[in-house]
Amino acid sequence: MDQKLSQLVDELTTSGETQLNPEKMKEFKKICKSSDEHINHAYHLLMTQLNKEHAEIRFSAFQIVDELFTRSHQFRALIISNFQEFLELTVETDHEQPLPPPKEVAHKLKKAAIKSVQDWHEKYGEAYKMLSLGYHFLKQNKKVDFQDVNARTLAERRREEEKRKRLENINKEKVKRAQEEMAEMSKEIQDTLTEMENCFRLLMPDPFDFTVNDAELEPVIEKTANEEEPASISMQLADCQPSSLRHIDDEQPCCSKDLPSILPCLKADKNGDLNEELERSDRGAANGDGCSEVELAATTGDDDYETFVRSHGLGSHKYTLDLEISTDIKVRENEDNSAIISSIVDAHKLIGNKFLPSVQLWIQSFTRAGISDDRLRCAIDLKNKLETALEKHKDMNIDYKERKRKVMKVSDDDDDDDEDEFVEVPEKEGYEPHIPDHLRKEYGLDPLSPPKQIGKKPAGGSSFLSSQSQPKRNEEELDPTCAAATLKLLRDKLPQFPLLDSSVSASTEPTASGEPDSKATKQEEERAKAPIIPFGLDLYYWGQDQPTAGKILKFSSQHRFWAPNELEEEVENKEVSEMLKTRYITFAGKFEPVKHKCRAPMPDGSLCERQDRIKCPFHGKIIPRDESGNPVNPEDKAREEKQRFEKQAQQPEWQDPEFMREVEAAVGVDLGSSRYSGKGKKKGKKKKYPNLTDLKQQANTSRSRLEKKVFNKEAMKRVVKAMNRMDRKKHEKFANQFNYALN
Amino acid sequence: MLGFISARQAGLDDPLRLRRAESTRRVLSLELNKDRDVERIHGSGVNTLDIEPVEGRYMLSGGSDGVVILYDLENFSKKPCYTCKAVCSVGRSHPDVHRFSVETVQWYPHDTGMFTSSSFDKTLKIWDTNTLQPADVFNFEGTVYSHHMSPIATKHCLIAVGTKSPKVHLCDLKSGSCSHILQGHRQEVLAVCWSPRYEHVLATASADSRVKLWDVRRASGCLFTLDQHNGEKSKASSEAANTAHNGRVNGLCFTSDGLHLLTVGTDDRMRLWNSSTGENTLVNYGKVCNTSRKGIKFAISHGCNPEFAFVPYDSNIAVYTIYSGELITMLRGHYSTVDCCVFQSDFQELYSGSKDCNILAWVPALQEPVPEEDNEKHHPPKYFGHSFLGASQPHRSFSTGTVIGSSSGGDKIGSICLDASMNPISLVPELIPGVYKLN
Repeated sequence: MDQKLSQLVDELTTSGETQLNPEKMKEFKKICKSSDEHINHAYHLLMTQLNKEHAEIRFSAFQIVDELFTRSHQFRALIISNFQEFLELTVETDHEQPLPPPKEVAHKLKKAAIKSVQDWHEKYGEAYKMLSLGYHFLKQNKKVDFQDVNARTLAERRREEEKRKRLENINKEKVKRAQEEMAEMSKEIQDTLTEMENCFRLLMPDPFDFTVNDAELEPVIEKTANEEEPASISMQLADCQPSSLRHIDDEQPCCSKDLPSILPCLKADKNGDLNEELERSDRGAANGDGCSEVELAATTGDDDYETFVRSHGLGSHKYTLDLEISTDIKVRENEDNSAIISSIVDAHKLIGNKFLPSVQLWIQSFTRAGISDDRLRCAIDLKNKLETALEKHKDMNIDYKERKRKVMKVSDDDDDDDEDEFVEVPEKEGYEPHIPDHLRKEYGLDPLSPPKQIGKKPAGGSSFLSSQSQPKRNEEELDPTCAAATLKLLRDKLPQFPLLDSSVSASTEPTASGEPDSKATKQEEERAKAPIIPFGLDLYYWGQDQPTAGKILKFSSQHRFWAPNELEEEVENKEVSEMLKTRYITFAGKFEPVKHKCRAPMPDGSLCERQDRIKCPFHGKIIPRDESGNPVNPEDKAREEKQRFEKQAQQPEWQDPEFMREVEAAVGVDLGSSRYSGKGKKKGKKKKYPNLTDLKQQANTSRSRLEKKVFNKEAMKRVVKAMNRMDRKKHEKFANQFNYALN
Repeated sequence: MLGFISARQAGLDDPLRLRRAESTRRVLSLELNKDRDVERIHGSGVNTLDIEPVEGRYMLSGGSDGVVILYDLENFSKKPCYTCKAVCSVGRSHPDVHRFSVETVQWYPHDTGMFTSSSFDKTLKIWDTNTLQPADVFNFEGTVYSHHMSPIATKHCLIAVGTKSPKVHLCDLKSGSCSHILQGHRQEVLAVCWSPRYEHVLATASADSRVKLWDVRRASGCLFTLDQHNGEKSKASSEAANTAHNGRVNGLCFTSDGLHLLTVGTDDRMRLWNSSTGENTLVNYGKVCNTSRKGIKFAISHGCNPEFAFVPYDSNIAVYTIYSGELITMLRGHYSTVDCCVFQSDFQELYSGSKDCNILAWVPALQEPVPEEDNEKHHPPKYFGHSFLGASQPHRSFSTGTVIGSSSGGDKIGSICLDASMNPISLVPELIPGVYKLN
């Protein structure tokens, strides 16, 4: 019975599962029920299992304890008599005795144990003093929170608390900073916003803000009203006036396109501040005026409705006019509004780059800190305002003039008015007057006119063409320190020098001298084919004869004072002279991937997949084989046969490890089968508890393996030795000098 | 048991014999009883306990957070289940509370109107129990590890104080000043104890692993230094000369008759010494686990036949017979290191304080069936209600363990009730078992 009990406990606890096997448990309980003696025995068995350094064993043992605890007074008394140790082993009350790995199971064990202790305390706390003491100990000293599902220890909770507090502090700090920043910046933001708003108004009056609108357009109306017939025209104008704010494009209600569109009186009236759009629509209105003027002139005689309607080609007198108020406005920059637009651009930049990000940052820090009072509201307000401003800016569709960097214009551009603002400055050294087309944008310059036109220009055009054909060269030319750049400079200065660059002649001549086109293209092709090689001495002396090359002066006497009569002796060294004319080009050949496989038959029936070039490290020289892996050449076959035979001779056939193992199993005597194959031995050795998580396996991480290697005593010794040697070497460097010899 | 009683009745036996036998039996059956609890007030470890020797009714406890609490141990509820109530306390909110851990508390031996407490905040405070105000405060240069007041002294009123400095201070309560300094130790003094036999003899234990006995009247130095090798090996190695232990000596206790001295040290040993000759009696107690850096307080029983020592042993309390060194039992119940224990010799109860904030009461196990009527019979009479102020005439006889009848000036009925188990004369034999019920 006792045997059975211990066996059961062993099986139950080493199952490695989270649930106990119910059948075995039943059996176990039945045995325990039979007598107190067995309970005693079971208690000791379980305590030993609880002491094992494996969380899974402990967990299972704890589950059994839990089962028995509720059923047997005797068992309760036993457990409680040693409750301190029990708590140490399950709840980890002693921090010097942490629960064993694996971690997850240990955590589960702890959770379960805490829960059980609470349950037990509720049920039996009255009767067992030690139990209630233990419970209070956990609760008050270990500060176990029995409600806390995570079964965190006090330290963990405290750590979390601390972390939270630190974060809170950081947030608070951020909020404070944001608040200060906001106080500082909100004024500035407001100013910018107002500025932008005013600029918008100036540029583009609000269609619904009639006061502004009227003020702007009043003179126009009055002028026309004064000049033309009062009633109907002013009516029409009133009709047209709102439309003047709309984008009407070409669909003018009046068919006055063909009429001369410029009315001097209106033109003069045009408000300088009005943008192009306004201008155009104004023009439209003006056209309308013109039209009506003409029409009216024709129809003044009969002020009859019918005739009016008819003469206008209208279907009815009461037709309705649908005006589509289009929102996509386009504002173009011109001299008149450039100041406003530039201030808008500045404000826009300020908002987009500075204000909006910082406002967003404030909002973020406020929300992080959980602040939802006026500060946050204020920040959100600001953000909204900024965003609407940006939106408005986008809606304006301002067509900026290219912003130019005036400095770049000095030599290049043709504007005379610009020029007289600047003092003539001598050209800088290394300054590149020619900026390649694809880079012009970076410099903030207008792109040059297309190459065709430039081709006509003598100097710039030629270089441009060549640069197009040779982008690589071009890049080099950009670098003022590069030889190519200097070359280009030279070339540009002396455009008439034809031999310097054939491409110059090739591109400039065709128009001038009319040479055949084919030659140029041929040269071009060759040029493309030619390899690009680094500059060297050989190129430097290309085609030149160096008479002094390879000549070395040689003194026949080594004496310091006595010299022979003939002062020097020239020796010609072939190698040196050759050096100036040769270039070594290493030719390694091309890498060819291996296409064949080893294909030697493997023990498992497959073929070796290794792709070595010549020799497989496992199967020797790679030889041609057929599909089943047998060598094709007869001599290879013979050799392999021979090898196999030799191998077999080493191990007699009757000692086949498989067979031996069987025999051993039958006889029960070790015949030494394990000696023959290491693999068999490994397989044969069974783990004691296959179901448990292997702790060694877990510990076998790449880190631990590396540690084993790196911190190996031998390795350490070796490293130390090598480093010592290196140290000594350092001293040896000057060891033969008197000065350092003693160091 | 019945044999003892009949022999006692017939006058064949000394009355002491019955008493001794019964006390011993009760001590041997000490256990954690679910009926007896001590109120859980301390928020941190309990460093020290003391039961007043006058009536054995009030207990002081000192916590490592500086709190001192006074418990009433007497059960007036007529029920077996009793939780010892805290009568009053010097809590953290008290203006005169000790700032750091209280290391020792002691009642004034002759009266419950006064007690003393010493702490790591370098003070020794004399408290008036009734007002809970400090009557006097002694300041020292180092932290105070231990202090003791002679339980029998009539000619002097000295408190011996062991502090971080190697000097032992003697504070005179009469003058309110530090009157003597005993020099001789080389390191901090962890424990001091007056002899219960000679009022001028003081034993001190220090971290320099020496234990010295002093006669405070002698100015020249100590009486002798205890030597664990009894002088045999000390010549060979001067370093180990005159050492009582091989580590710090942090516990010290005289037997109740004052003839022997028990010391414990961090070398995990306990030694019994002849207090008159300073000889090591070489009793082997085995390993007495002791890792405390400061003093530990252990107790010795009183009035039993083999006397017992109750010594903190990690989170347990080991019970040894003093003279044979036999480990009787381990009392398990604390969940953390036990720092102190104190024995109530009238009812043979043991109280222990530990780092787990608990004070546990160890009570003799009940004998099996108990007649019902005994319970009422023995509950204390009403007029025995005790007041601190009323203790002007102490029942000195209880602490010395003499027979009740010889007590001078004691209230007769009160004496019988207090000493119920030891005074069989007034009891009818068949009612004897009821005595145990009193617990």
